[in-house]
Amino acid sequence: MTFFSVVVRGLLRRPVRTSLTLAGISIGIAAVVALVGMSRGFEKSWQVGLKARGTDMVVSNMGGGLTPKPFDASFRDRIANLPHIAATCTLLIQLTSIENSDLMILSAREWGGFSWSNLEVVSGRMPRDATERAVVLGQTAAEVLKKKVGDPIQIETAELQVVGIVKGGALVEDGSVILSLPILQEILRLQNQITTIDIRATPGTTDQQLHELSQQIEQLIPEVRAVTVSEHLSHSEGFRIVRAMSWVTSLLAIVVGVLGVMNTMLMTVFERTHEICVLLALGWTRGRIMRMVLYESALLGLLGGIVGVAIGAAGAHLLGNTPAVRGLLEPDLSVALLGLSAIIAVGVGVVSGLYPAWRSSRLTPSLALQSG
Amino acid sequence: MSLIEAKALTREFDDGQVKALRGVDFSVEEGEFIAVTGPSGCGKSTLLQMLGALDRPTSGTLLYRGQLLSDHPNPASYRAHEIGFIFQAFHLLPTFTASENVQIPMFETSRSASERKEHSVELLKLVGLDHRLDHFPSKLSGGERQRVAIARSLANGPSVVLADEPTGNLDSENAHLVLDLIIRLQQEQGRTLVLVTHDPTIAARASRTLHMRDGRIISDKSAANL
Repeated sequence: MTFFSVVVRGLLRRPVRTSLTLAGISIGIAAVVALVGMSRGFEKSWQVGLKARGTDMVVSNMGGGLTPKPFDASFRDRIANLPHIAATCTLLIQLTSIENSDLMILSAREWGGFSWSNLEVVSGRMPRDATERAVVLGQTAAEVLKKKVGDPIQIETAELQVVGIVKGGALVEDGSVILSLPILQEILRLQNQITTIDIRATPGTTDQQLHELSQQIEQLIPEVRAVTVSEHLSHSEGFRIVRAMSWVTSLLAIVVGVLGVMNTMLMTVFERTHEICVLLALGWTRGRIMRMVLYESALLGLLGGIVGVAIGAAGAHLLGNTPAVRGLLEPDLSVALLGLSAIIAVGVGVVSGLYPAWRSSRLTPSLALQSG
Repeated sequence: MSLIEAKALTREFDDGQVKALRGVDFSVEEGEFIAVTGPSGCGKSTLLQMLGALDRPTSGTLLYRGQLLSDHPNPASYRAHEIGFIFQAFHLLPTFTASENVQIPMFETSRSASERKEHSVELLKLVGLDHRLDHFPSKLSGGERQRVAIARSLANGPSVVLADEPTGNLDSENAHLVLDLIIRLQQEQGRTLVLVTHDPTIAARASRTLHMRDGRIISDKSAANL
C-alpha cells in the first residue's frame, strides 16, 4: 500500500459525495474551456481569416465595437506609397443579421483588390464587375443561409443575387457574405466610407519594419490604428470586454468550484476526526496528515479538471456549430488552454484543501483514546 | 536509569476545575508488565495518554530514557517508533484491509511499500491471522479485530506497548485469547507493557499493579507482594 492509495481510499469513502464534488469542479472547468475557448477562437478565426486574405497589417478604427468604425476611403491614398507596402485593399466590413440568420460577416471588398484573390469558386462564378449587384457566399455562409447559386439574398433593403459559392481558406472567410465595395457602400449609404485597409507588405519585411510602418501610418492618420494581424482584435475594446467577461464568468465558476471542494474536504475532515486522531496516535506526523488531505483535494481537482476539459471541449464544439456562431468562429481548444484549465483545476483543489488540511493537523491525538 | 520516570505529574482541565492527575510519581523498568487499575474517572486513561505523548502534563516531569518527554523535538516520531497502542475499541480504519491497517504506522519508517506489506504479513502471522490479510475490519470478529490491532501496535518494533482496556469490548472467550496473546508476545519479545484494566483477574497476571483513585496512585505492588 502506497501513500497515494491511502489518498485514493479517502476519496472512495463517500463515492456519491466525491462524484458530486467532481461534477461541481468539472462544470467550473468546462465553463473556462468553453467560454475562454470561444473568445480565443473568435480572435484566432479572425487572424486566420486575415492571413488567408494575404494581409500582413490592418488599418482600422476598432473603437468600442467588434467591427471597425467607418472612415474615409481617401485615407488609403495617404499611405499607399509608404515603404514596405506592396499592395493595399479597402474593405467595408459589417457584422450583421442577414435574412433569418444571426450575426454574419458582410465583407465588401475593393474590386480588383488582393483580398479577392484567396477566394476559390466552388460553384457558380465571381461577380462580373464592381457594379454587379451580386454576392458570393462562403461555403458555411451558404449552408447557414440555405442559399444556392441563383438565389436572391436580402442585404438590408436591397435584393442581390447569389452568383457563386466560394472557399476562402479560413473559417471566417467561409462564413462571410462577400460582395463588391461600391455595392455595399450604396446599400448602407456609406459613400466613400470604408472600415478597413488590408496591407500586404513587401516580401522580406521584418517585424521591426512592420512596427515602424504602423507608427508612420498612425502619424499620418491619427484617426486609425495600424496593427499587425496578430494584434488586430486585441485593439478592440469590444473584444476586450468579451474576453474579460468570459474570464470573469469562468472565475465565478471557479470560485463556486473552490467552495464546493472546500465544503467537501471540511466535511471529510470533520467526519474523519476520529480516524485522523488515530493516525496521529499511531505516529503519523501533522505534516503527513496535512499532505493526505491536500493530496485528496488536489486529486479531486485534477479529476474534475480532466472531466471538465472533456465536457468543455465537447460543449465548445457544440456551441461552435450552433447557427448563431457557425462560420464566425471555431473554438480555440489549444493544448495550452486545455493544460491551463487542468492546472487551474489542480490549483482549485490545492487552494480548497489548505484550510481543511490545516484544521486536520490541529486535531488532538488524545481523542483517539476515547471510544468511537 | 528507568525506561520511564514520572515525577509529580499533574493534568488539569477546564482551568483547573477538573484534576485528572494530582501528582503522580512512578517509574517503569524495561520489560515490565504493569497493570493500571482503578475505578472509572480515576485518571488511568489520562496517564496512558501522558505515557504515549498524546497529551502533555500540566505540571511535573515525565522522562523517557532520561529525556524529558515534554521537550521531545518530535512527539510523533516518539509515538511512531517507541510506542505501540492497543485501544479498547480497536480503532482499525474501516476502508483498509487487515494487512493495510497493520502497515499504517510503517509510513513513518523508511520501509518500501513491498517491505511494509511483507512485514504486515509476518505480524499478522504472529497473531494467527495470516488467513485474513485482505479482509476488511467489518468482515472480522471482535477478537480478530483486536488481534489486527495488536499486530499494528508491533509494526515499528516499539519499546513500550500501551493497552487501554484491550479486552473491554470482547466476550470472555475472545478476551482470554487476546490477553494470552498480548502477554505471550510481551514475554517473548521482552517489550514493556502498560495495560489499563478494570478487571482484577487481568491485573493479577501483571508483574506489577498500579492502583489509582482520584488522580493518584494509591498502591504500587509487584506480583511477589500481591
